[in-house]
Amino acid sequence: MVSEGPPHTWDDKSVFDLSALEADVAKLIVQTLNLNIDPVQIQPEQPLFNEGLGLDSIDALELSLVISQCYGYKIRSDDPETVATFASLRSLCQSIEKHRTK
Amino acid sequence: MMWMAGSVGRPATRALLHLICAYYLIFSRQARRAIRPYLIRALGRPIGWRDLYRQYHCFASTLLDRVYLLVGQGSRFDIEIRGLDVLKERLARGHGCLLLGSHLGSFEIVRAIGLTQGDVEIKVLMHEQHTPVIRDLFRDLNPEVADAVIPTGSPNTMLRVKECLDRGGVVGILADRLVKQDQATPCKFFGELARFPAGTMWLASILKVPVILFFGLYRGGSRYEVHFELFAEEITIDRRHRDREIQLWTQRYADRLEHYCRLAADNWFNFYDFWEEQR
Repeated sequence: MVSEGPPHTWDDKSVFDLSALEADVAKLIVQTLNLNIDPVQIQPEQPLFNEGLGLDSIDALELSLVISQCYGYKIRSDDPETVATFASLRSLCQSIEKHRTK
Repeated sequence: MMWMAGSVGRPATRALLHLICAYYLIFSRQARRAIRPYLIRALGRPIGWRDLYRQYHCFASTLLDRVYLLVGQGSRFDIEIRGLDVLKERLARGHGCLLLGSHLGSFEIVRAIGLTQGDVEIKVLMHEQHTPVIRDLFRDLNPEVADAVIPTGSPNTMLRVKECLDRGGVVGILADRLVKQDQATPCKFFGELARFPAGTMWLASILKVPVILFFGLYRGGSRYEVHFELFAEEITIDRRHRDREIQLWTQRYADRLEHYCRLAADNWFNFYDFWEEQR
């Protein structure tokens, strides 16, 4: 899970400079995947998969389903951008911003 | 050997298999030890050289037959099919299906079976990074079939699975073999706990599609016996009891696997100690 979190709990305020969307999506990730961390601990540039947040491809599927529901953006495997989209919270939110329909 | 399979034919190449199996059996102590824990449990009696040999020969035969299946020569096999309707009915309604297979027998034999009247997309989820040599070989034999492999390990992987199912296709998963990074769930298998991958049932519960079991048993010569069996119309898992429910579903799979192992003990191709704690 998160390897380098902030030294103590930060209530609802992230130490990282997150946009409103990033903060929302961070919450969505934690809720959807039932992660045992505070959403504010997710660093925007930290890798979501493997060594970073430790997500796997089943998590990616769940996440894409819920993103499609919430933002009307359907992440597709044949889109060359997809792997880059899943790189971090920030890249994910940039893609959502670009493709969202709601 | 691939050259032989193509140019001198199956009987001659099969004769060579005996030599290869004998070589392995005599010289590879590791190979003998790897299959012993399984055979003792599956046969329920002391095992001899003959049993070990059958195991290797069965494996080598299906491996060779994969070559013929890949180049589209499935019609040369004598295949008895049971329970195909459970799959056909659902595909005809346009429902994608998960096909849960195993390393008991041949999965590739599914290619020799007409699943529906029309073309149905079949993909197989595979840990490709472990067998790049085989991947390249198969790509040479039939690039189209190689494209039917969905490799694991990318954030994309399960999106591809879902998209194939949404198109009404079939995705095969071999659900018995645990790979290092997989989460495991312990299941009774031949009376003792063995570790099975936990992700399969969880994935199935997210995909919400019918799950059908598949066993392609090799019966010697050019005979295969293929079994389809409805496992679940839909797997639902409550996240709050996730581990327990995954275990229950996986145990059901393990029970069916054990059943088919008893039907065709020599078809077991997991050549390692399946019950070993730490791998």
